[in-house]
Amino acid sequence: MATIGGKVMLEARGLSKHFGALAVTNGVSLSLAAGERHAIIGPNGAGKTTLFNLLSGELAPDVGSVIIDGTDVGRLPPDARARFGMSRSFQKNNLFAGLSVRENLGLAAMVGLGLSRCFWRSPMQDAEVVRRIEVTAGWVNLEGLLEADTGDLSYGARRQLEVGLALAERPKVLLLDEPTSGMSPEETVAMLDMLKELPGNLTMLIIEHDMDLVYGIAERITVLNYGEVVYEGTPEEVRASGEVRQIYLGDWADRDA
Amino acid sequence: MFRQDRVRSTLALALLVAGAVYAYSASYFGKELLAEIAVFAILAMSLDFLAGFAGLVTLGHAAFYGAGAYVYAVLTVNHGVAAGFAMLAAAAVCAIAGWLIGAVTYRVRGIFLIMATLAFGQMSYVYIFENRALGGDDGMSGVPRLDLSAIGIDLSNSANFAFTLVLIAGLTYVLFAWLLSSGFGQALVGMQRNEQRMRALGLPVLRYKAAAFAIAGAIAGMAGTLGAQHNMFVSPDYLHWTTSGLVLVLVILGGLESLAGPALGAAVVIALKHEISTYTVHWAFFIGVFLIVAVLAGGRGLYGLIDGVVRRFSRSKSPEPHDGDDRRQGDA
Repeated sequence: MATIGGKVMLEARGLSKHFGALAVTNGVSLSLAAGERHAIIGPNGAGKTTLFNLLSGELAPDVGSVIIDGTDVGRLPPDARARFGMSRSFQKNNLFAGLSVRENLGLAAMVGLGLSRCFWRSPMQDAEVVRRIEVTAGWVNLEGLLEADTGDLSYGARRQLEVGLALAERPKVLLLDEPTSGMSPEETVAMLDMLKELPGNLTMLIIEHDMDLVYGIAERITVLNYGEVVYEGTPEEVRASGEVRQIYLGDWADRDA
Repeated sequence: MFRQDRVRSTLALALLVAGAVYAYSASYFGKELLAEIAVFAILAMSLDFLAGFAGLVTLGHAAFYGAGAYVYAVLTVNHGVAAGFAMLAAAAVCAIAGWLIGAVTYRVRGIFLIMATLAFGQMSYVYIFENRALGGDDGMSGVPRLDLSAIGIDLSNSANFAFTLVLIAGLTYVLFAWLLSSGFGQALVGMQRNEQRMRALGLPVLRYKAAAFAIAGAIAGMAGTLGAQHNMFVSPDYLHWTTSGLVLVLVILGGLESLAGPALGAAVVIALKHEISTYTVHWAFFIGVFLIVAVLAGGRGLYGLIDGVVRRFSRSKSPEPHDGDDRRQGDA
């Protein structure tokens, strides 16, 4: 598994999920060291989304466990996992409609700081919330659009805010579900540049089906096919692997090999 | 997101002042009407907190209203408990009932939540209706009013009583405005906008929905104790689903998610109801027409109308955009 130094921040042990007779996730194990950038790739139907949902808590595994920073959260719902430091973005934008960028980030920061339990003052004026809104907006390149309504943002900016909401919580582990889905090539490049610039201590797991996208970010890549881990290695190793080429390109891989 | 902006504060203050002045200038009948308006304004604000801000639209709000009224009546009439203590006990019972209903229905949304709360409401209606110990369909009479003679206020005087209810309605507004500005209130609004996201961010949705129901239930129960004191009589009609429906109409007509709007809605609808019923028994028909017009005219109710006019007026005076209320939109 991961050999990069430091403690293990996110670990999956033998995760399996069956829908009827179909094993959608079959004995998947993963390990991410603190600060590691890890990508999970695989063709359509490889079970990436199911694995993502098992990690984030939308689905409960049949067997296996998910461990965040030493705590087994495999049986906990998504909100409890978030409180243990796991944050996620959604493949389809999932923002607070009708509110400004500032209010969107403010809600996320407020929940992350536990201020939703506060009955006596407004969190939007809280110094730490305000600071987090501004820092996070800087990370996702939305400093100039803080007062804009989410409905008036471009698609690319909304995708940036989608990641920003997950970041405003200051997670230990960030799960990104196809962060560039639906983006134009220019927007994709901007998103990748943005992700590369995020603080180095953030542990990040990206799920993607496009191999080329993750080469620039990931330190390690896990290749999934038919619900199982078929390969794990550095981007160079994955790129050189005949097995991975076979999965992605089928017989085409043999023609120019 | 809730903001205590100028339009909202002005409207709330205007209603409070109008109510206070009317309490001491109106005819006897006018005072009775004012007391009824104040009770329904409290009910409507508590439902707006739940349905408008927290996004939990229900059709069983009258169950809290009736439960509060009956707990108060039973404690004061049958057990001789002091009125003030009975009011607190009624609110506590309704808070617990609200918490349970919120916890049980936390996965249920939209039309299904309306149906579930309607079922809860009608179950409690039937229970009271069939319960001879609670007077069955005859209800209970001789319900006493709060005794404030210690501080020199005689609540058997209808002007004093109406004024006190208007004041309590004002306090209810302040309580909700304060709650909605807090982290807790903002979390409720976030949940209304995007429950899945709030869960993903770490909000335990069940607890927040249960708490919203408990608070709205306690205030509705408090309104019930005031209604019982106003009529000096309780009956199963307090819990009937048509009462829930009327409160929902007040909220929608006044303006969902505006807090001050539903209080205005209560004043307008209840005054109109009495005016129209002097001419015809079919007053509900005219309220219905009024409601359809309000919904078709943008769905933001009377509050939206006022807010829109103020915005247009202030824009023509100054180039600065007015920070108005949020519109409801589909998912981004």
